[in-house]
Amino acid sequence: MNENTLTVLVADDDVTNRLLLEAILRKEGYDVIHAEDGREAVEVFERERPDLVLMDIRMPELDGYQATELIKAMSGDVFVPIIFLTANSDVDSMVKSVEAGGDDFLAKPYNRIQLQTRINALMRIRELYSTVRQQRNELIQHQKRLERERQMAKRLFANIIHTGSLDQPNIKYLLSPMSLFSGDILLAAPKPSGGLHVILGDFTGHGLAAATGALPVSSIFYGMTSKGYSIAEIVTEINTRLKTILPVDMFLAACLIDIDTTTHTLTVWNGGLPPLVVYAARQLAISQRIPSQHLPLGIIDGESFSRRVEVVGIQQGDRIYICSDGVLETQNRQGEMFGRDRFNALFEAGLVPQALFDTILGRLSDFQAGGLQQDDVTLLEICYDQSLLDQRTGTIEEEEGGRGRFSAAPSSWGLTLTLTADLLKVLDPLPLLIQTLMDLQGFRGQRQQLYTVFSELYSNALEHGLLKLDSSLKANASGFVEYYQAREQRLAVLSEGEIRIDIRHQPDAGGGRLTITVEDTGDGFDIDSALLPLTENLGHAGRGIQLLRSICDEVTFQGSGNRVQAVYRWR
Amino acid sequence: MPVTSTVSADGKDITIIISGRFDFAVQNEFRDCYHSTGPEDGVSFTIDMNKASYMDSSALGMLLMMREHLGGNSADITINSSSADISNILTVANFQSLFKIA
Repeated sequence: MNENTLTVLVADDDVTNRLLLEAILRKEGYDVIHAEDGREAVEVFERERPDLVLMDIRMPELDGYQATELIKAMSGDVFVPIIFLTANSDVDSMVKSVEAGGDDFLAKPYNRIQLQTRINALMRIRELYSTVRQQRNELIQHQKRLERERQMAKRLFANIIHTGSLDQPNIKYLLSPMSLFSGDILLAAPKPSGGLHVILGDFTGHGLAAATGALPVSSIFYGMTSKGYSIAEIVTEINTRLKTILPVDMFLAACLIDIDTTTHTLTVWNGGLPPLVVYAARQLAISQRIPSQHLPLGIIDGESFSRRVEVVGIQQGDRIYICSDGVLETQNRQGEMFGRDRFNALFEAGLVPQALFDTILGRLSDFQAGGLQQDDVTLLEICYDQSLLDQRTGTIEEEEGGRGRFSAAPSSWGLTLTLTADLLKVLDPLPLLIQTLMDLQGFRGQRQQLYTVFSELYSNALEHGLLKLDSSLKANASGFVEYYQAREQRLAVLSEGEIRIDIRHQPDAGGGRLTITVEDTGDGFDIDSALLPLTENLGHAGRGIQLLRSICDEVTFQGSGNRVQAVYRWR
Repeated sequence: MPVTSTVSADGKDITIIISGRFDFAVQNEFRDCYHSTGPEDGVSFTIDMNKASYMDSSALGMLLMMREHLGGNSADITINSSSADISNILTVANFQSLFKIA
């Protein structure tokens, strides 16, 4: 039997009719099988699976209607056309045959052309039906596979873009992606010197494509933060990477912040996000609004990219708010947007800070009230709580240890580094220096301590030695801001002077002894006054020296005070 | 038509007029307005958004594509907009450093 030959089942109790139909059908090239009554029709159908059925209505055992119902049920989602053979075209039998599942009628006496036309038409439908069914099945398979992949990617994504240090009692956030993957990212990481780095970003578009861009951002952000880089350096690195990998029409609007608990300052780089808001706990009003001042990330090349940051003071209990534009563009049923005015008004009602976040969420959800979400929505609140932010969590060290890096037994070595004014202007040498020490000796569990020691020694040499900044400026919080502005200005025009860092290491009783000497070409300072005991030194200034003494075994000032030597023992 | 364009008699000035929502739905029409022009043609473009009601970040992306196509830093593109919302979106993204905003 030819594969392509169609088989037609003729079910009729009248042998003359059967032979007549068979003759016509065979002449047209069909294979023909018969049944003499309804029950046999069902049995033959089940066995032979013909492509089409011609069904008489009045038959013994089962009539044509009953046989049709059974056959239709049996064929499931395969379309088997059934044509009823009727003596006359009375409406009643037509209705009944349609109800039973019949697809067409053929009135006696049979006409060859008519029969052929009906069969052809139904066969075309059958073919179409089978194509659609096949495509539907492929689509379902495809959908299932895609869903599995998406779920797997989502888990993988979640592991890489872990939210880091967001789960603290002083941090509240809403991340509401419009699809499985968010085009918004929100990451936080503790700094090795205490305090917190946060990035909130919003990629062009939504879903997987947007989320993929988040992978390099997260690795740069976590990696560089843990190594002690500043947000200006981190944002520059992220921009360079995104410029390389993103298509021209894709970019990342982002806000990076550095919350510093030592200086009580908030450092902000905002490129393309709505203004960052600081809500002052004492005044119950906005104390700072830092609007976007830069292009979003990934648009322009390194040279024209601006890493300029804003530094503002911050006080205990103040709350910092950052959001993606999805918050302002939340739409109600009428397609109207929530907008800047409604958002700003929330901060002008004199609410207690504790109530603000929930109030904002409440207003947003009341406003949206069943309107469709059009964009990823992300909102972050951080309460400036010094003791919580200052907790130096173990995460950085764990990551270090987990890398299983080779670590030399304590040995003797030395390192001398001379930093010129030209270099100091463009580079913060600390992250590189600390990384070099970690690679050289593998000071397990010592990174944060070492970072603090080097950071205090280096800042002292740079800020007081070369930049000649006066610590007394730092007597109050607003002075801090002034101090850091002056630091930035003076550093930008620094033309002479250098800092020499000398590091010696000796093995010592299961650990080592690190002698660090930092010398600058500045004028030095009055050693005696800086060495007052802590009880007589309550200002913001001079705390660096106290901090050094608490970590190091010895701290000595030499020369005119422009040379400091610290000895740090580790095990 | 949400996106239409007019060309000056000497062919050196092309104005693209956008009305209604400026978002991904009009990307093909928008692209067609500048695609046959190259960086060497010395054409000045004006994007008239006075009749646009809204633009989203994909529209910002479309503007960046256009700028890149017309030679990046040497592209001559002016954006006109009287809508406060649209001006705000352009300002927040600091697009005044890449385009002339009138």
